[in-house]
Amino acid sequence: MKLLIADDEGPARARLHGLVEEIGGIEVVAEAGNGRQALLLCDELHPDIILLDIRMPGMDGLEAARHMAGLEPAPAVIFTTAYSEHALAAFDAHAIDYLLKPVRKARLAQALVKAQRLTSAQMNAVTEAAQGGQRQRTHISARRGGRIELVEVTDVAYFQAGDKYVSVHHGGGELLIDEPLKSLEEEFSQRFLRVHRGILAARDLIIGLEKDPQGHYYVMLKDQQRLPVSRRHVSELRALVRAGRIRT
Amino acid sequence: MHLHDFVPASLRRFQRLWPAPSTRGGHCFSQSETHNSKPATGPRAAKLSPVSTDNHGRPPLQPDARAARVNTRNGSPTMIVPNEHRAEELYLPDFCNVRMVLAMVVGAELLAYLLSLSATRGGESRWDGLIMTSLFVQWVALASIAVLCACRRLMEGWRDMTTTLYSFGLVLAVTVVVSEAAYWGGAYLDMFPVRQGWHGEFLIRNLTISAIVTTVALRYFYVQFQLKKNIQAEAHARIQALQARVRPHFLFNSMNTIASLTRSDPALAEEVVEDLADLFRVNLADARTRVPLGEELALTRRYLHIEQLRLGERLTVEEDTAGVPQDAAIPMLTIQPLVENAVYHGIEPLPEGGAIRLQARQDRDGNIVITVANPRPAAEVIRRPGNRLALDNVRQRLGAHFGNRAKLTLDDAQGRYVATVTLPYEKAVS
Repeated sequence: MKLLIADDEGPARARLHGLVEEIGGIEVVAEAGNGRQALLLCDELHPDIILLDIRMPGMDGLEAARHMAGLEPAPAVIFTTAYSEHALAAFDAHAIDYLLKPVRKARLAQALVKAQRLTSAQMNAVTEAAQGGQRQRTHISARRGGRIELVEVTDVAYFQAGDKYVSVHHGGGELLIDEPLKSLEEEFSQRFLRVHRGILAARDLIIGLEKDPQGHYYVMLKDQQRLPVSRRHVSELRALVRAGRIRT
Repeated sequence: MHLHDFVPASLRRFQRLWPAPSTRGGHCFSQSETHNSKPATGPRAAKLSPVSTDNHGRPPLQPDARAARVNTRNGSPTMIVPNEHRAEELYLPDFCNVRMVLAMVVGAELLAYLLSLSATRGGESRWDGLIMTSLFVQWVALASIAVLCACRRLMEGWRDMTTTLYSFGLVLAVTVVVSEAAYWGGAYLDMFPVRQGWHGEFLIRNLTISAIVTTVALRYFYVQFQLKKNIQAEAHARIQALQARVRPHFLFNSMNTIASLTRSDPALAEEVVEDLADLFRVNLADARTRVPLGEELALTRRYLHIEQLRLGERLTVEEDTAGVPQDAAIPMLTIQPLVENAVYHGIEPLPEGGAIRLQARQDRDGNIVITVANPRPAAEVIRRPGNRLALDNVRQRLGAHFGNRAKLTLDDAQGRYVATVTLPYEKAVS
């Protein structure tokens, strides 16, 4: 059995490592200092179980677990935390196991035996419950060529719905994800605006609204890209123009 | 505010509400009887029973414009609770509870006794009077309890004033029904002579007594409820104050660090325990103490020592405090909470960590100026739930010791977050 330890504190990792070795029968394949690193290591090393701290900088444990649920094979997740955060009530509600730090050896051994995989739906529900209805990820993840790719949400210019997938256009290129535009719109409504039936554009990047001689509307992004605007979304953009947020 | 303001609204509401209570009451009363010689008592008793119900006649607060909706909530009664304090919880006790019913029966009986004592006139047997009065009062009391018990769910979430008026109306309705039943039942059974014009008097007396008793009872329930709520609020505030001083996260993370070091480096673990003990000693001590600046800085260093073990390379500390008089008096726990805030909000959310800069100097006017600076994570990094309590506490302490001669200012610019404490130089008495 392979195990990964993710915690942003060195002493915490060292202790868990020691305890797991004492329990025996399990190989610690790596240690990660934040959620992003944990996710990438998971993708690379395919551990069976991950001990995942909830509070970590960059990408926290809850979000990392959401991305991990999409891995193939997905690891079983055991959350660890030093203090009862809101998340714990949500875990209890969804029968997800967690360990309180400092972790007791017997408790850890028990958790390792019954560790379970978490589904995306489960993690979405738990995250939402734990964060008061909010479940904004900091990263978008997709699999390409058997490996996971991560794009920071702040780096995304727009999402565009295609035939089968949604393509994520970001600073470094394009990524295909298998998520409906609708759920992306709900999750990131503060950051992205629906400008077209199939397009969500980053609010911060929209700098102007244009109309061509044929009467079609377009939004201009900071990087000079032009995105089509559907008729029904023109009024919302006009309101932004009036508010002085963008120009025509 | 003013009773008259909202009376019309409440009346309107009552018009809609009346029918229900009276019908319900009707069932209950059908058998009650009053005794002829003392009709007056009966009615009074009736009022009593309402005991169970209403609250008091505190002037209602706000007229409710949406009076027409049965479900609207009223402003809470003015007495103890300020306006903004809208009671969500029903202040009435649970009348469906057996103990409550027993208490009501006893209360009603006491009232019946009181009424028959005061009503006894020469000639008539005191006991007869008491029996009939008790019968009447108990009927009204039990019927009122039953109605209020049945309506409890309906009243959940109402404003106190709505509940009050509603309960008051219900009890009066019950009184009317029981009185009528007693009057006509009594006449039918020939227990007392039906006199001309006496019917109205009987009803009005009963209603008056009922109204007074109900008012007193509701008032009592309300005050008792507020008292209970205040006690709870106070206990809650104390716990919060304690938590503000000791961040649970820090405590448990430190414990975890100690658990880890105990295996790898017992000597270091020992040091951490000592540092932690010092921190807690100070945190649990009387917060009004002034200490020399040197001591506060030493405490801050102990705190940082623990955090550095925990966060490793992610936390760098730049300290420049040598040039300041170490004997300057400073309220205990002024600098350490600011540094703790800096670690919590400025370092922990950053994967790569950062540096905290702690400076102390003396300005041209001789004042002591202490600054704590930390990197400010971009807005993208999820902001942690704030702990303004820590800052408020520091402000309070400075204010308590130095009045407006000391201040805490916060500056949030150029990617740095800087907290500055300025205080006059006074030597600490050690």
